[in-house]
Amino acid sequence: MSFYPARRRRNSLWMSLSTAAAALGLGWLLLILGVLVWKGLGGLSFAAFTQMTPPPGSDGGLLNAIVGSLMMTVIGVAIGAPLGMLAGTYLAEYGRYSGLAFIVRFINDILLSAPSIVIGLFIYQVVVAPMGHFSGIAGAIALAVLVIPVVLRTTEDMLNLVPNTLREAGSALGMPRSLVIQKIGYRAARTGLLTGVLLAIARVSGETAPLLFTALNNQFWSVNLNAPMSSLPAVIFQFALSPYKEWQQLAWTGALIITLAVLALSVTARMLASRGTVK
Amino acid sequence: MNAIVHADLDAASKIQVKELNFYYGASKALKGITLALKANKATAFIGPSGCGKSTLLRVLNRMYDLYPNQRAEGEVLLDGQNILRPDLDLNLLRARVGMVFQKPTPFPMSIYDNIAFGIRLYEKLPKTELDGRVESALRRSALWDEVKDKLSSSGLGLSGGQQQRLCIARTVAISPEVILLDEPCSALDPISTAKIEELIDELTDDYTIAIVTHNMQQAARVSQFTAFMYLGELIEFGETDRVFTSPHEKRTQDYVTGRFG
Amino acid sequence: MSAAAIPQAASLSPAAASRSKATRSFAASDIFFRRLTQSAAIVVLLLLGGVIASLIEGSVPALREFGFGFLTTEIWNPVTEKYGAAAAIYGTIITSAIAMVIAVPVGLGVAIFLTELCPARLRRPIGTAIELLAGIPSIIYGIWGLFIFAPFLQQYVQPALIALFGKVPFLSAVFAGPPYGIGVLTASLILAIMVLPFITSISRDVFETVPPMLKESAYGLGCTTWEVVSNIVIPFTRVGVIGGMMLGLGRALGETMAVTFVIGNAHKISASLIAPGTTISATIANEFTEAVGDLYTSSLIALGLILFVITFVVLAFARLMLMRLERKAGR
Repeated sequence: MSFYPARRRRNSLWMSLSTAAAALGLGWLLLILGVLVWKGLGGLSFAAFTQMTPPPGSDGGLLNAIVGSLMMTVIGVAIGAPLGMLAGTYLAEYGRYSGLAFIVRFINDILLSAPSIVIGLFIYQVVVAPMGHFSGIAGAIALAVLVIPVVLRTTEDMLNLVPNTLREAGSALGMPRSLVIQKIGYRAARTGLLTGVLLAIARVSGETAPLLFTALNNQFWSVNLNAPMSSLPAVIFQFALSPYKEWQQLAWTGALIITLAVLALSVTARMLASRGTVK
Repeated sequence: MNAIVHADLDAASKIQVKELNFYYGASKALKGITLALKANKATAFIGPSGCGKSTLLRVLNRMYDLYPNQRAEGEVLLDGQNILRPDLDLNLLRARVGMVFQKPTPFPMSIYDNIAFGIRLYEKLPKTELDGRVESALRRSALWDEVKDKLSSSGLGLSGGQQQRLCIARTVAISPEVILLDEPCSALDPISTAKIEELIDELTDDYTIAIVTHNMQQAARVSQFTAFMYLGELIEFGETDRVFTSPHEKRTQDYVTGRFG
Repeated sequence: MSAAAIPQAASLSPAAASRSKATRSFAASDIFFRRLTQSAAIVVLLLLGGVIASLIEGSVPALREFGFGFLTTEIWNPVTEKYGAAAAIYGTIITSAIAMVIAVPVGLGVAIFLTELCPARLRRPIGTAIELLAGIPSIIYGIWGLFIFAPFLQQYVQPALIALFGKVPFLSAVFAGPPYGIGVLTASLILAIMVLPFITSISRDVFETVPPMLKESAYGLGCTTWEVVSNIVIPFTRVGVIGGMMLGLGRALGETMAVTFVIGNAHKISASLIAPGTTISATIANEFTEAVGDLYTSSLIALGLILFVITFVVLAFARLMLMRLERKAGR
């Protein structure tokens, strides 16, 4: 066994490196979160949620940005989720041997990982330019385009998990295919489908790039979808790069708010998912 | 308890198990097992599902160590040395006590490399010598003639029976002293099963064999000693012929005649 | 299921008649539903087509003006209206490359830790933590980088690097120049931290597909943990791991917000990593809303087209490889 000590040393070396990597990798991320909380918490006051974004040098809040983000996200999901779900249904239920389904699946994966700034450019070309001005609805549509691939993927995956015996039981009663899908398929997969939507919301909540030249930004209170609309990410972008202390503090606070929202959504989605599978 | 079990704990025993208890978490899976495996003999472990036979086998090469919730108490002596000691070197133990699993598990490499892999762990051999060792391992597993022309092709391309013989070849290539077989034929067709049973018969000449099996006829064919286990206890242990034809315990009788399990 | 199989309603009992009426409407709703979902699928197809078409249409003025030289010119001057993508392309590729060089080994290391070394109790919490961290919006990394990381690098790390490599012939040019804090190196490091959870998550999922019996066979021969990982786990999951890497690369290439804050926005290709630079997405993010003139806007859209093509190629390649893996596994 002349090799053995060398093998043991090699094993110890690589295992230590692996543990160090884990410590390093996780450490950085915890560091970032810690800084975020430390810096953002100070600005997390009542004012932050009730006042508008201020002009440079004065205090204020993030209300218009929060409302803008909420509006565009809700509309974006309202447009994108049904589309994604229907398309995902097609892929799962009708698409096993269909050439169209194969291509759409491939394309969806591309869209899923495509740079979101490119999507922003696309919406600029087809919505903003023809309209002649930036608008909240353009921002919402950009978010919808980001939501579709996520929801499509999870819908297809979740529906594929529903066992065929369940579907056959429905058909054996004389139910038509469309009703089997809606009443049995959707029902059985409902937790997973909801999880998918939550994850999509979490994903688009933090997106900045596609909003930068669709909804632009708005310093004042506005719920007019036909005009530039404020959003948290856009405000953070503008304020962080500025030299004003108050603006920078609001940027940190806004970042903390977004992160908490995203984490809350992800945790909820995760809890739902694990509860759903306990069936 | 096992006062009635006639387990000869003498010098001809390769492995002696003394008062072995095994726990999965809080649940006790093996209760006070005491028996001995004689050198260069095959011992079969039979019993209904869940009786603990595979658990016992996996204690003999400390395979359970990979899983944090599992622990063993008692003593297991290999040539007089207790292998349950916490400071025992597990890699060296497993070089001496090899294992073949229920499903064939060829490594994702060529047939040649599957065998050479184990050898290379322990020895640095020139190519011709390595070739010879690979060939001899494949011959001992009755696989050489079927694969000698395709040693560089993937191990995954073989049939189920061939894959299992490959796994056996892989195990004997590193010259262990004991070979543990955990239901080696359960995933195979009857013809492959017959070939492997013949193989086990030949291997007994050079190694100490412990084989877990659901198939009583198989136990009768390949082993010299048989242990019957039930619900984590050792019910009966003795020479195979006697255990099957005139068992001491009623439960043994019921099992081997097919009354239950 | 055709109507011809259903007998005339008039010749049936009332129950059967209503049942046949119902099944006829079933057929209609089936067709409707199928068409509806199919249309949704086609919309997805059209979306991608639309993205490509609109990018090409928007790029035409710039490409017509500059031709192929657009890809190779470093100059980017809004005043003289001369635009070239070389600096942005270089920045995109070099930041992603450095980020992957760091993130892949560390990510694999964390995945190995999680699957082989981590105490069982900690496995789920840490695994979940990593998934959550993978979901943190990139703008967070951006501002953290700008306010915390860049100053830190500027004060401690960059001067040390400059001093360390000052005398070494080739490397002194790579680590040269005043320590700005922001720059290509900083952006690459932040990108690495961002891509890390993604790579860890995918690698861990792939590592967990190795059948335990296969690993036990290797342990049974007396292998050490490292030997099992390097000889069994990684070769077994090789294609999945590479597919995951490519997806991570696709992410890194398209990343905007983490990079924009700290890259320095200089349209220059420098030998030094410590110098500022730019990436395609950072350029677009920083300049699009202020771009005046069709040529300027068109050049930015052309940059977007180039980025899309690059990521498309990487992602398509990754998908094809993963498909081959699944076919080989017999799915």
